[in-house]
Amino acid sequence: MAVSIEEQELKSRLNLIENMISEGRRSTENWGWMFIFWGVAYYIAIAWATWGHSSLAWPVTMIVASLLAAVLASRKAQKSPATTMGRAIGAVWIGVGISLFLVMMSLSISGRYEPHVFIAIIGAMLGAANATSSIILKWKMQFGCAVVWWAAAIVGCFGTENQGSIAFLGALFVCQILFGIYGMILKSNKRSARQRPEGAAHA
Amino acid sequence: MPELPELNPVIHGKLRLALLSLLSGVEKAEFTWLRAKTGSTDGNLGAQLLKLEEAGYVAVEKKFVQRKPQTLYRMTDQGREALTGYVRALKQLLGAAIEA
Repeated sequence: MAVSIEEQELKSRLNLIENMISEGRRSTENWGWMFIFWGVAYYIAIAWATWGHSSLAWPVTMIVASLLAAVLASRKAQKSPATTMGRAIGAVWIGVGISLFLVMMSLSISGRYEPHVFIAIIGAMLGAANATSSIILKWKMQFGCAVVWWAAAIVGCFGTENQGSIAFLGALFVCQILFGIYGMILKSNKRSARQRPEGAAHA
Repeated sequence: MPELPELNPVIHGKLRLALLSLLSGVEKAEFTWLRAKTGSTDGNLGAQLLKLEEAGYVAVEKKFVQRKPQTLYRMTDQGREALTGYVRALKQLLGAAIEA
């Protein structure tokens, strides 16, 4: 009996170690809101450019959204610990974001902006970012988003302007809004599961 | 029969073990985050972190962010070695307990 109690105690220590290590790593899953945020920013820019016929729509929306995202992300980051995985994923998205911004601004200013190119570049780059992120996180659902973006990029290359636009708007809705909501629901479910009493560790 | 290893008493405390395990998965973590994850009180958490610090298993960094004090903890190489050794010893003991 004494051996059994000791064995249980040792197993509970091992479980505690496993739980706490995975608890620390979970801090990277809290970014569902960022997908929704950028999805909404893209929709605002598209609506403004389409109905407002303003050449300022994309640069202004993207600059304001980038500043706002940076402030919100840094506030959120202060509450969570830094992890190597989190930094790796952050690096991918920051890199892709800067690349997209520079290329799109340059195309726009040089007057070489063309809808097919716009859809193909955005689709390919967001596909790459989602795929990289999904492989790091081992998250199959996000790889599905990468496939949707790549499909939109291909439609952008081969389809008409209308077909490309529909593919782009569809990908935006599925991969930013729906995926963001899914990420937030997943996070909220995990948080509720973790709030059970056995999660506490006292000396 | 091979001699069974002893468990490191500094790490064996449940809260100290939880803290080291948490810190092993992150680069550094704030006091409030550790408190939330362990469900511990400020006093108890501070005391256990101090023991880990005295043993050289964690390092402390204090700074101000937007005029608010922030205390950050990170696991040292010594702490990582100690935790690895503890897990190894734990597995060895568990193996012996199952065989007995």
